[in-house]
Amino acid sequence: MSIVQPYDDRFQSLLFDESRTMGRADFVAMPRCEEEIVEAVKFCDANNVPLTAQGARTGLAGGASPEGGLILNLSRMNRILGIRRGADGRYLLRAQPGVPLLAVRKALSDKMVDVSGWSAESLELFASVRAGELFFSPDPTEPTASIGGMASCNACGARSFLYGATRRHVHALRVVLADGRVAALERGRDRAAGREFSIPCADGTSLSGKLPDFDTPDIKDAGYFLRPDMDLVDLFIGSQGTLGIVSELELILMPAPKLLAGVTAFFPSDECALSYVAAMKRFSPKPASIEFFNRDALALVEAQKLETPAFRQLQELPEDYCSAAYVEFNLGGEEELYPALEQLSGALAEAGGDPENTWVARDGLELEKLLLFRHSVPETIDIHVERNKKNEPAITILSTDMAVPDARFEELFWLYERDLAESGLMSLIFGHIGENHVHPNVLARNLDEYERGHALFEKWARAVREMGGTITAEHGAGKIKKPLLLILYGEERMRTLLDFKRALDPEGILGPGNVLTEVDR
Amino acid sequence: MNICVCVKQVPSANEQRLDPVTGTVIREGVSSILNPFDAYAVEEAVRLKAKFGGQIAAVSMGVPSAVETLRRIVAVGVDRAILLTDRAFAGADTLATARALALGIQKIGNVDLILCGRMATDGDTAQVGPMLAELLGIPHATDVSKIGAAGPEFIEVARMADDGYLRARLPLPALLTVVKEINVPKLPSVAGVLRGRRAGVDVWSASDIGADPGEIGLRGSRTRVVKTARPEPRAACRFLSGADELLEVLKGGGRA
Repeated sequence: MSIVQPYDDRFQSLLFDESRTMGRADFVAMPRCEEEIVEAVKFCDANNVPLTAQGARTGLAGGASPEGGLILNLSRMNRILGIRRGADGRYLLRAQPGVPLLAVRKALSDKMVDVSGWSAESLELFASVRAGELFFSPDPTEPTASIGGMASCNACGARSFLYGATRRHVHALRVVLADGRVAALERGRDRAAGREFSIPCADGTSLSGKLPDFDTPDIKDAGYFLRPDMDLVDLFIGSQGTLGIVSELELILMPAPKLLAGVTAFFPSDECALSYVAAMKRFSPKPASIEFFNRDALALVEAQKLETPAFRQLQELPEDYCSAAYVEFNLGGEEELYPALEQLSGALAEAGGDPENTWVARDGLELEKLLLFRHSVPETIDIHVERNKKNEPAITILSTDMAVPDARFEELFWLYERDLAESGLMSLIFGHIGENHVHPNVLARNLDEYERGHALFEKWARAVREMGGTITAEHGAGKIKKPLLLILYGEERMRTLLDFKRALDPEGILGPGNVLTEVDR
Repeated sequence: MNICVCVKQVPSANEQRLDPVTGTVIREGVSSILNPFDAYAVEEAVRLKAKFGGQIAAVSMGVPSAVETLRRIVAVGVDRAILLTDRAFAGADTLATARALALGIQKIGNVDLILCGRMATDGDTAQVGPMLAELLGIPHATDVSKIGAAGPEFIEVARMADDGYLRARLPLPALLTVVKEINVPKLPSVAGVLRGRRAGVDVWSASDIGADPGEIGLRGSRTRVVKTARPEPRAACRFLSGADELLEVLKGGGRA
């Protein structure tokens, strides 16, 4: 039986992702191994059928939503395959792309993992690792995200302030190319020579070409990652299934921090919060994450408490607040915690905060309470989008993840605040302020509001381009944000990117509608 | 209203293991936390103090390292922390524990209300609170989920019962054990944590509270543990590969 089957209504849930972008499809394939991916890709190549790869469909930009053709759903490729130590002594975990982040965490924290089929070397090494000794740092808000999906949009999450995005934590990839050839790429080994690249394939052939003659922004990623002499794995991280299909990943594991602690602080004004954030960016020990919640975000969660029973366990907000900031520390032990808190207390008071008006978590259990609060914000957004979509099916999530250099962040922040206030749209701002990367969200209730939201995003994208920033720092451009990517790059560079994609995917079957926008020649 | 909260340090629930030979809880190498139910008692004390004024004392019988747990609750608003620690307290059952706590609370003196968590997550007996009330000769209510009106002479509570709530009015002094429905415990503030860090904890020995060595610890215990056994898992877990297999199982009467 062919791995490719015709699409029917049983697969309806595969037409959309967390962004609620509704797609359409003609075929479905749910491979369990690389050979089956190859079979599906060859089918597409032979019949000129476009294909959209998807993992756990938790993305926020519509990257996994198919635009016709084949849905290549990788959720059955959910096996962790083994562990080894690299030349530098680092632990490397080999896994299929459909493995959920949660499963990686469980394998490391509790050693709960199916090890059948592991090599003797892997088993022996794994036996010598203590539960909780190692961790994989990327932490997108949604822990059911698949690791393939995380690599595909170079997800980061809050702790990337300290540890960096997914890209930094992927050592090697196996990739199925558009014609069904397979490449095994390793960081440090397989690199471009200047702008020339040659991807070695398992069958002894290679795929060669030239990288576009410009670099993508320094501030995180925007669609593709391009540099001279770059590691070839980085071509496939962040490119959302438009250049190849990731069939296996080797993740870089790190020694787990001994103590997790966090502080949520409340501020009488956004100015105070920004001044505190600026101090925390320079703080020592360096925080793992710095997160921000504006007044609207706090109020929205507070209102949702009445409707959502799980939210009743959330901490009670203090009475007088405007905004809040959350700072997390990953420490070597309790002896580091108290001096840090003493110092933080001073910084807080200096910024106009009140050390009494804070929540402190001093261990993993208490930290869960703070993270529950952090995660209640996107959950509340989901509830609203789902409700608004019932009135207007075209509505999707409207969340941005633009980032700019340090010096320009406050300017961008006030632009967001001013534009949202003037628009009268229902909105909120929260997110990774440590990396100058907050998520303004618009909760559109009808098509008019939805379009006005998009118009604001395009305005901000032009401002971000002027500031030397990026229009997507972690969600990927997918389908929802690709118009912003066109604004960032302009038509000429977009043409160059399209030519580059054509070199890897001559038939144009990979990831239709993702990242790039066709422009007139 | 002067309140005394009784607390216990227990092994972290995530790491609980039993010694296969002795059947007792392994405490070595396992991190200790405040008994989760006691956090609700502490929070309720803080809320009552905000409403009615007075002082909050917390008392615990335990090993010297329980000082850290007591400092943690000073961080959320307890005024005074007392640790009863002595080799003579070791091996205490619920009765011997209640006797030590009763003596400790008598030494604190002038207590209007005693609050306890409904039980400790390591022993799961829920006996110490009621025993303590009996030893002190004061009324008590268990499983309290709401505190209503209170005055210098009385307190009104709702306690959870199998089929609803039972409302009671108790004369003070009284003892209450509380359930987790009563509140959402607040995390401490930065200022609170630093206060707790610097806080002194009073450490009292058996002789400090005038305990009779025959009435406390292992010697004072009336419970004898005959056997501890680990429940065997009843059925093996089977993973189904998909809807078709599930359908077969359901057709077969739901037995995998």
